[in-house]
Amino acid sequence: MARTRTTKTVAQRIDLNYFKRPTSFKRARLALVILAPLLAIGWLAWQAFVHDPHVYSSGRMSGAHAVLEKQCAECHVEKTGEFSAKVADNACLSCHDGPMHHENQVRADIPNCATCHVEHRGRVNIVASSNISCSECHSHLKVSSGNTLYATNIRTLQDGHPEIAALRKNFKDPGTILLNHSIHMKPIRRGPNGPLVQMECADCHRPEAVKASWPYADANYVDAKVSYDTKEVLLPVKTGTLQPRHAMGRAYMAPVKFSTACAACHLLTFDKRFDIGVPHDKPDVVHAFVVKQFQEYLAAHPAEVRVARDPQRDLTGKPLAPEVRVLTSAQWVAERTADAEELLWRKTCKQCHALTSVKSAPLPHVAEANLTGRWMPHARFDHDAHRGFSCLGCHPGALTSKETSDVLVPPLANCKTCHAPGPDHAESRCFECHTYHDWSKRKEVKPTYLFPGLQTGGK
Amino acid sequence: MGLVFGITGFAFMIFAALLGARKRVPTWRVGRAKAWMRGHLWLGLLSLPMILFHGGFHFGGALTRVLMWLTIITVASGVYGAVLQNYVPRMMTNDVPLETIYDEIGNVRKALRMEADQAVESVCGRLGLVKEIDEGQRAGGFTALRPIAASAVPLRTSAGVSAGASAVAMAPEIVLLTEEESRPLRIFYFSEVRAFLEAPAWQWQCLGNPERAKKAFAAVRQLMPPVAHPALDDLLDICDEARQLMHQERLHRWLHGWLLVHIPLSLALILLGAIHAVMALRY
Repeated sequence: MARTRTTKTVAQRIDLNYFKRPTSFKRARLALVILAPLLAIGWLAWQAFVHDPHVYSSGRMSGAHAVLEKQCAECHVEKTGEFSAKVADNACLSCHDGPMHHENQVRADIPNCATCHVEHRGRVNIVASSNISCSECHSHLKVSSGNTLYATNIRTLQDGHPEIAALRKNFKDPGTILLNHSIHMKPIRRGPNGPLVQMECADCHRPEAVKASWPYADANYVDAKVSYDTKEVLLPVKTGTLQPRHAMGRAYMAPVKFSTACAACHLLTFDKRFDIGVPHDKPDVVHAFVVKQFQEYLAAHPAEVRVARDPQRDLTGKPLAPEVRVLTSAQWVAERTADAEELLWRKTCKQCHALTSVKSAPLPHVAEANLTGRWMPHARFDHDAHRGFSCLGCHPGALTSKETSDVLVPPLANCKTCHAPGPDHAESRCFECHTYHDWSKRKEVKPTYLFPGLQTGGK
Repeated sequence: MGLVFGITGFAFMIFAALLGARKRVPTWRVGRAKAWMRGHLWLGLLSLPMILFHGGFHFGGALTRVLMWLTIITVASGVYGAVLQNYVPRMMTNDVPLETIYDEIGNVRKALRMEADQAVESVCGRLGLVKEIDEGQRAGGFTALRPIAASAVPLRTSAGVSAGASAVAMAPEIVLLTEEESRPLRIFYFSEVRAFLEAPAWQWQCLGNPERAKKAFAAVRQLMPPVAHPALDDLLDICDEARQLMHQERLHRWLHGWLLVHIPLSLALILLGAIHAVMALRY
């Protein structure tokens, strides 16, 4: 009596209209199919009801614009009759200026603010634009007029970036101060009778903001007023360069000053009668100082007008009859001054400065120092950010350099060692060193908001 | 570039969603069903990386975050479903040879109960159970639910029905046991078989397990006279079919359960995606 399953017996158990009957699965699916979109619409409707358009934001605002987080309309200005409420440059320019990049850049290539400064990407640094923003133009650089001085196919730091200009072929340090770095980096005698000392880079090279004491300074010179402007010793930064927006007191090395770095060893003494040296100043100031010193000395020592030949100064080796001369005060001062200046112009000053004598002029001409304050005028570098690294690690040339014309700026390859793409490296995008806006052309903007108007939703 | 990825990803989503529309409108003969399914699978899968590229792997604000999660869940559930669709039908073929239409499992189970009742009644006499009536249009012009077993009931006397003719011819003679003789079967039937047929379960019922079921039936068989053995064989067969239906139900839930997540979320995704597209174009 086994059960017999045939197609027909099996089919007879099936309701032919079974597909018309709702099942629990079909009912659940239908309910969810209706419910899910309804919930989605309901959620958006609720956001609209409570007037929170924030829901459509594609992400949080950058830290700089966090105050505008709930103020969509401040940037997304709606215009009558227009569907689009995209952010226009005017919205950005109402708070901060954005000077153009270069006068001769192709106008059609000038991007909108939001092209480079992408908002709604969370609390990121909005200045940190992508390399593409720069390489859009710099990978095939064209200018609106004339020829460009810059490399025309830079894509990234790793791809197409030229070597630092100061390290390119035939470039020499334009400075005129004679300095042998290698001598100063070895143990060296401090002054004519001083002890041997081992100098360090920071004994001479420091950023402006560093306030530590100078081991090789001379208080007489530090406190002394000079007739020249200390800024004159620096070459001016070329015009047309895109300088960093904010000056940083610790970013760049200050020009080395005689008073703080040299005076302790390089004495400017001019005569054995005096312990003090001449001021570190222009020749006419030095001359006046020397004359005055001798005049005052003669006033205090009138017997000095009687001058006897100094047997020590006879170079013949034969005994000479003592020669005694009696000079007038003016003669005595003139002779002593001439001797002192002979020492200064031919030895003391010339040890570091380039002096040229002109027959028509009684005093020599000292060449401008022409120190280079910014070796990379188109880029930003922060020594303070790199303070963990020893100076010689990046500037090993200081140990061997003997010529003033040697440029000791580290090569770009040094930078690329750390500044490279990837999570294990330091930032390598263009903005890290370069700036887009020419802040020298910055215009001031009129303030728009009343504190704390933005937080309360009003102006 | 991000916009291109977004448009492409959303277009893929729309295409994937059109599969549902095509299923609802079978007369819409645009391409083969297989091609549509392949397009649904691959383009739906590709929509996820497109959207991730579109967002630059950022989840963004509230709406975009919801959209991103909806995309991930929808694609993940789709992949899960595709994997199941690849394996479960094969399991179904192997494990459930007596597979029936899922929606009719309830009816078939009811038929099995009727069949089991009648098999027991054929040896034990009336059980006093209320007959379950289920009307519907069935193959062969029947309207009432009909069991399979020839012994259960004369299938039909009508000459117009040939389906049950052979079964009628095979119908055995009904032999009733005494009250005392039929007691073990009655007890076993009500305590185990009927309970299992009414609410089948895997764990706590001995008939839910084929080995344990065989042992249980063998034990009852020893207590029953040989005349009752065919009825016991039928009951064992009925329980086996009920067990397979139970397995089919479970596999069906695996096979289609993910759609309860996939379809509603994909609809919400399309809707919110369209709103996002409009708002993104605006802002």
